[in-house]
Amino acid sequence: MKVIIKNWTGVATWKWIANDDNCGICRMPFDGCCPDCKLPGDDCPLVWGECSHCFHMHCIMKWLQSQQVNQQCPMCRQEWKFNNK
Amino acid sequence: MSGRQLKRKTTIKQSGDESDKIANSSYVTIINNSESKPVSTDVLGRNEFYQVIEIIKKLNLMDTIHDLIIKNVEKYVCNTVVVECWMCITGSNSEAENFQNFHKAMVTLYNYYLLLLSALLSQLPLDYKKSVRHFYEVGLKYEENRGTESSDELCSNCGSNSNCICAQYFYEANSILLELGLLEPLASQILTTTIYDYIENHVETTCKDRFDVSFLTPLQKWLEDVIIKWLRKIYTCDYSNKEISKFNKKLINFMYEIYTKVRINQLFGIIIEYPDSISALQDLKTCLSKTDLRPYLTRKLQKSMETRLLHTGVSTPDILTAYVATIRSMRVLDPSGLLLGTITQPIHQYLRSRDDTVRCVVSSLTEEGPSDLADELIKGEALQTDENTPSDDEEINWENWLPDPVDADPNKPLANNRRTSDIISMLVNVYGSRELFVNEYRTLLADRLLTSLTCDTEREIRYLELLKLRFGDAQLHYCEVMLKDIVDSKRITQNIKHDLSSSGENDIPISSMILSAQFWPAFKEEKCELHPNVDEQMKKYTACFETLKGNRTLYWKKHLGLVDLDIELPDRTMNLYSVTPIHATIILHFQDKSQWHLDELSRIMQVPPTVLRRKIGFWESQYLITQVSPDIFQLVEISAKGNLNVLREIIVEDESESAMASTQDQREEELQTFWSYVTGMLMNLDSLPLERIHQVLKMFAFQGPTTECSLQELKHFLDRKVREHQLVYSNGYYKLPKS
Ligand SMILES: [Zn+2]
Ligand SMILES: [Zn+2]
Ligand SMILES: [Zn+2]
Repeated sequence: MKVIIKNWTGVATWKWIANDDNCGICRMPFDGCCPDCKLPGDDCPLVWGECSHCFHMHCIMKWLQSQQVNQQCPMCRQEWKFNNK
Repeated sequence: MSGRQLKRKTTIKQSGDESDKIANSSYVTIINNSESKPVSTDVLGRNEFYQVIEIIKKLNLMDTIHDLIIKNVEKYVCNTVVVECWMCITGSNSEAENFQNFHKAMVTLYNYYLLLLSALLSQLPLDYKKSVRHFYEVGLKYEENRGTESSDELCSNCGSNSNCICAQYFYEANSILLELGLLEPLASQILTTTIYDYIENHVETTCKDRFDVSFLTPLQKWLEDVIIKWLRKIYTCDYSNKEISKFNKKLINFMYEIYTKVRINQLFGIIIEYPDSISALQDLKTCLSKTDLRPYLTRKLQKSMETRLLHTGVSTPDILTAYVATIRSMRVLDPSGLLLGTITQPIHQYLRSRDDTVRCVVSSLTEEGPSDLADELIKGEALQTDENTPSDDEEINWENWLPDPVDADPNKPLANNRRTSDIISMLVNVYGSRELFVNEYRTLLADRLLTSLTCDTEREIRYLELLKLRFGDAQLHYCEVMLKDIVDSKRITQNIKHDLSSSGENDIPISSMILSAQFWPAFKEEKCELHPNVDEQMKKYTACFETLKGNRTLYWKKHLGLVDLDIELPDRTMNLYSVTPIHATIILHFQDKSQWHLDELSRIMQVPPTVLRRKIGFWESQYLITQVSPDIFQLVEISAKGNLNVLREIIVEDESESAMASTQDQREEELQTFWSYVTGMLMNLDSLPLERIHQVLKMFAFQGPTTECSLQELKHFLDRKVREHQLVYSNGYYKLPKS
């Protein structure tokens, strides 16, 4: 007997590879989206700081705009720098 | 003697002894009442009188004697009555005396007339009403059949054919009654009831089982052409036109009332046959405005709903169909919406008590093919998109504005009823929760998307747009993401397949549906390890995904998915579509090794033996695997059936299980968390009544994410535990069974 698989459609869920489940700013799950967004994933991506903390991109952008003086990570208060890994 | 009098005599003769007796006794009465006595029972004595009559009969002298008596009566009238009367006038001199005498003459005459009349009426036979009624019924039948019936048909009354003179007799007798002034005292009341009954009967037979025709005009015409015309003939010149038309109005009102009642009694059937029954509904609408039968309608319809619709024998889709038909019918019947509210309220209540209502609504909303609710959904779109041009049937424009019906309850806001003509909104309001509806829709959509690769996403998106118009974007946002997931997955799979095939590693072509877990309903979790070859391909697929979408990875739900495969055997090839991953994995393992012990395969696949045995059953039914000894399964390469080289196309329809945990399952899980509290409680306190358990749970268990549980729901839950012998219930107390 020979079994020939012509097509195998599996079901999977995607997940951000992050060290936390929820965004430290909006408290929403990373796999969902920030309060301003409707679509998760490509449309509401995550960004990492050099401090290794990560947030919804839209959340950290808003946060940084609200900080007139120092651009700090809201979690560890280190200076915020995007980690383009 | 005049001609008429002659004829009357013949009639009397025909009817024989009986009428002779009546005639005789009448004459005797008249004669007795007057003072002079040509023939008197006083002289003869009772017995002798009858003896004489017997002799007369024997000698066949009836006619002679009869004529003689009439002559005597005539003579009496001439010689006594008339003379007495006119004597009053003659021989007076003064004008005053003249005046008084004339008055006296008339009074005398009138007294004789009264004598005659009272004698006649005082001896009415008991069943005279019956014969009068019969007489007029026959007459009415003649009037109606005049012209319509072919002339050679037999008369239903006398049984003779074309030369039947019943009609002639009828009008003759009637005009005698009229002329004698007897129509009013003898017949008028009977005549009225006869006509009413006749109308009732006519209306009932005419509109029996016909809902597609308006009967109002034909019925009115019939009333005018048959009944009114006949009445005019009966009363000839006696009644003025004014009186006839007054009666006419009464009859029309009566006819309306009867017709309304007939239609109301048919209303359930009329509703079910909507829209074929629109004519009947419009008739009824007209009738309701002319009669006072709204409360009757409400009562009757609610009753028939109860007996014919709202019971366990009727399936939920059927109830929904009837419900939609009811709403549409009521809109025709009463644009104010008041009736609609009253009539549908019990249906709402009933639908609320059924478990599968939401599911049925949602599936009929989204089903392919014609469905009432789907039509409504599309209609709703039209309503929304061209808001400025009012749609013809939904908008009530000011010219057709009607005041609220008089039975409107001023305490209830009408605006609510008036405007919720939208069936879908009404159905949703039954539950008071859009969320429940949307959740159910989401579960069904998820099922459809995951169990059918051919699912038409474009169609689903169109539908979703329609639903969004109803339920709002926010509620359906999750479904939008789900659909987007499926569309995106196709694109991603194409990308990854391309990458994999260019690197030559494509022996098991993997596709995937990549879901945003946050937006999908909860999945039924099942464990299942796939065949290593497949697993390996999936890992490669995941790796490709990770490079394609930085910082994201995939978690496979291995038990979910669909597999198309060919099985080449020495004597045949099988093409299978949409096999579940578990089934595919089993057969892949049998490809590696032709004999397996159930436990061994169960360990490798991490599927419980009971489930696995059921799944192997599918391959047994395909004559591919057989159980050679208990728990030992063997691959059968050459079919014992010997149908060689038969190309078998098999589309697998596995026990169509939902991939989603149903809302009920989810609730079940929640309730299960209470169970540990309940057992703990009962262990400490031995036995407790329902209310107490509920109270304690309220204090301790209904906190956190678990939703609250109503007393009713708790009772259901505990009662089920009783049925499952996990609890004992007696005297209103629950306790644990003694182990
Ligand atoms: Zn965020
Ligand atoms: Zn966002
Ligand atoms: Zn940080």
